[in-house]
Amino acid sequence: MRSRTVGGWIVAERSVWLYAVGAGLDGAWVDGLRGVDGEPVRPVSAAGLTALVGAVDREAFGVEQLPARLDDLDQLATIARAHHRVIRVAADHQAVAPARLATLYADFGRVRAMLAEHAAVFRAALRRVDGRHEWGVKIFADTERRPGQPVDRPASGTAYLRQRRNSLTAREAALAAAGEIHADLAGSAVAARQRPPQDPNLSGDRRRMLLNATYLVDDAGREAFVARVPAVAREHPELVVELTGPWPPYSFAAVEEGEPA
Amino acid sequence: MTVSTPPEVQPLPAEASLVDLLDRLLGTGVVVTGEITISIAGVDLVYVSLNALLSSVRAGGPGPVDYSRRLR
Repeated sequence: MRSRTVGGWIVAERSVWLYAVGAGLDGAWVDGLRGVDGEPVRPVSAAGLTALVGAVDREAFGVEQLPARLDDLDQLATIARAHHRVIRVAADHQAVAPARLATLYADFGRVRAMLAEHAAVFRAALRRVDGRHEWGVKIFADTERRPGQPVDRPASGTAYLRQRRNSLTAREAALAAAGEIHADLAGSAVAARQRPPQDPNLSGDRRRMLLNATYLVDDAGREAFVARVPAVAREHPELVVELTGPWPPYSFAAVEEGEPA
Repeated sequence: MTVSTPPEVQPLPAEASLVDLLDRLLGTGVVVTGEITISIAGVDLVYVSLNALLSSVRAGGPGPVDYSRRLR
């Protein structure tokens, strides 16, 4: 690693960015992989585990500059996609525990120490996600007015209240239906997790999101799961169901507290 | 990302949407050594501003992100 001397101290000019941890991630496919700083991605091993890391510019990816860069939407997008690209390639080859965005270490030695210190947790995580991928399902209320449907203007207070009640009932019914779909899909998955609905301002999607869930699915059961989504969606024409995936197991690599490591 | 396009399921762009990605990259459940930390010269520092961004993504409130633009 390059270094410079400041006031008699040797200061490394690069920090180490962590992408993912696996067991023996040193296949030929790592060669040519580029990371968030355009740097070559390389394996660093300890305790039978391998971390995929890259040596990034210490200033640009340091405490001074990185927060501001991550607050910039374009730079956040670029960094997030580069981080994701490395993890996706790795997850295509073998089980990996993805690292959260902006997990940095001072040097490779610190990465090895981290691997050794958390070896049991990583092994448990890798067992959990081995042979599995994550699939996302978002459900929206189909609120678009159908062509020819008149815009009802309530003629009286009673009519208004009735209209409002109907609307609330429809909303509750849609939520309940989304919950049923989630339960159905969770039954076909190894694990399931719900997230808060996405902010329409951030997604640019004005439809009301009823469900933002993600599922850990055995690769062997992938086709069945992917086929199940439109099957359950067909039963609820009032909902719009979107499927994304396969994702690296971002949401399921952490070992739950209390779970044997 | 694989695209699944039966009639009832909306077709998706080939590339993951940034919002879906950030949901996963910044959300809980990723194995890390604690918080979003940066370890330089042996000192762990929490990224307060990234957490603030995360909260704003969650809450949809005013934050450092330019919300006027659609993410894809």
